[in-house]
Amino acid sequence: MGVLKKTTGLVGMAVAPNPHHTLGALYGKILRTLQKMPESSVYRKYTEQIVKERAAVLKQTKDAYEIETKINCGQAEELIIQAENELNLARKMLNWKPWEPLVAKPPKSQWDWPPTKA
Amino acid sequence: MSFFLRRTLGAGRNLGRAVLNNNQYSGLQRVATKTDQATPQAETRPTVAKFDPLQKSQLVDFGKYVAECLPKYVQKVQITAGNELEVLIPPEGVIPVLQFLKDHHSAQFASLVDIGGMDVPSRQYRFEIIYNLLSLRYNARIRVKTYTDELTPIDSACEIFKAANWYEREIWDMFGVFFANHPDLRRILTDYGFEGHPFRKDFPLSGYVELRYDDEQKRVVVEPLELAQEFRRFELSAPWEQFPNFRANPAAEEVVNKSEDQPKKE
Amino acid sequence: MAAKQALRVGTKTVRPVLSLNQAEARSRVLNLYKAWYRQIPYIVKDFDIPKSEEQCRAKLKEIFLKNKDVTDIRVIDLLVIKGQMELKETVNTWKQKGHVMTFFKPTEEPKPKDFLSKFFSGLD
Repeated sequence: MGVLKKTTGLVGMAVAPNPHHTLGALYGKILRTLQKMPESSVYRKYTEQIVKERAAVLKQTKDAYEIETKINCGQAEELIIQAENELNLARKMLNWKPWEPLVAKPPKSQWDWPPTKA
Repeated sequence: MSFFLRRTLGAGRNLGRAVLNNNQYSGLQRVATKTDQATPQAETRPTVAKFDPLQKSQLVDFGKYVAECLPKYVQKVQITAGNELEVLIPPEGVIPVLQFLKDHHSAQFASLVDIGGMDVPSRQYRFEIIYNLLSLRYNARIRVKTYTDELTPIDSACEIFKAANWYEREIWDMFGVFFANHPDLRRILTDYGFEGHPFRKDFPLSGYVELRYDDEQKRVVVEPLELAQEFRRFELSAPWEQFPNFRANPAAEEVVNKSEDQPKKE
Repeated sequence: MAAKQALRVGTKTVRPVLSLNQAEARSRVLNLYKAWYRQIPYIVKDFDIPKSEEQCRAKLKEIFLKNKDVTDIRVIDLLVIKGQMELKETVNTWKQKGHVMTFFKPTEEPKPKDFLSKFFSGLD
């Protein structure tokens, strides 16, 4: 049995009681949300890659500390927050559909710099 | 560190082609790692900012990544002043792009540093709204730019970043850009009865009104401006070139092409 | 929401500010007028303004009639929004007596318009 973490060291962030379980559930939800997007979307491809990598690390070990070091992106509680954010984002992306082609082209000379003297 | 490079996996095929164009750095190692030379070479220009090729290549790759992930909203991606990444989007894309940059695993730009505005009256959409974001996880900054004119509202970013509240109030007060769904849009810097939007380019330097204390009314009164002397303007541009040393680095930016071409230098 | 629908202005379709058509904009303007009208007695009392309520109402009408020729719905919306902001500042007494009195412009003299007045006052 690993050492029980007393505190995250960050203000307002409580120690998660079972990060392995929470992360597993969240990654599952994210992957299921991503399934609903079209295969060709680049966002889906890269996010699936990232999430599957982290889920693979989860499968290897149950120890929270080992998970943190292997994923190397902050503490387990921070990983939970990141996963929740990604889930939120994926659900909103289903509505926004960012994989479609450009919705509005800029008017001519909109982004020219320096702006030409009229 | 490895994670910052990880997101470049898709665009990594171009990584090898991100050739350094600047010849004075040929003395560095071929592989783009941070210079870990034991003794630094003699400092030639200590006041000039040092160019970091690794950071720049990472920014270029991340710019391409964003352009690939959000093709519906990203119009252009460019690198300004050597190491500042900018993403240019239409006003419809403000909320999706900011949400993506805040929440995505390989972005995590959770800190909104500033929202600025810019007025270029000669353009059709004269105002530019500029969001500056900072990622503490990856120590990177990114700029998101949109455009609008006087009458088109922009979606408020307050749902995504609480910090946007006062910044958007300032942009409303100074430019007159209306933010839809803002919880409390009202003036923040100008006086209570002030009419006009001071940061617009057609608002004169002295303003339109002047205030003075009136003894009959026993209060401060607002009157139309009357200057004792006509406002004179001096065109302070010299006929000679001002920075001959920097002729090779144009003020214009490098453009990261969204397609598979190499990044061009303009 | 209003954001998802477009407004036709001239020949282009643009994003509306608040109202979708003239009728809605008109009702907003009238509601703003009513709100100011009902607030006038409290303004006169709270700020201790040296004007009667009739004078305030006349001034309110004058200010609203100044913009009567505006036809663009988005411009009407923005004017209504600014009017609402001014009303909020007045109701919560963030404004002070001086700010409210600027509406009446007591110290401004009308600038000479016809040739003779301009000649006498020395303006060219």
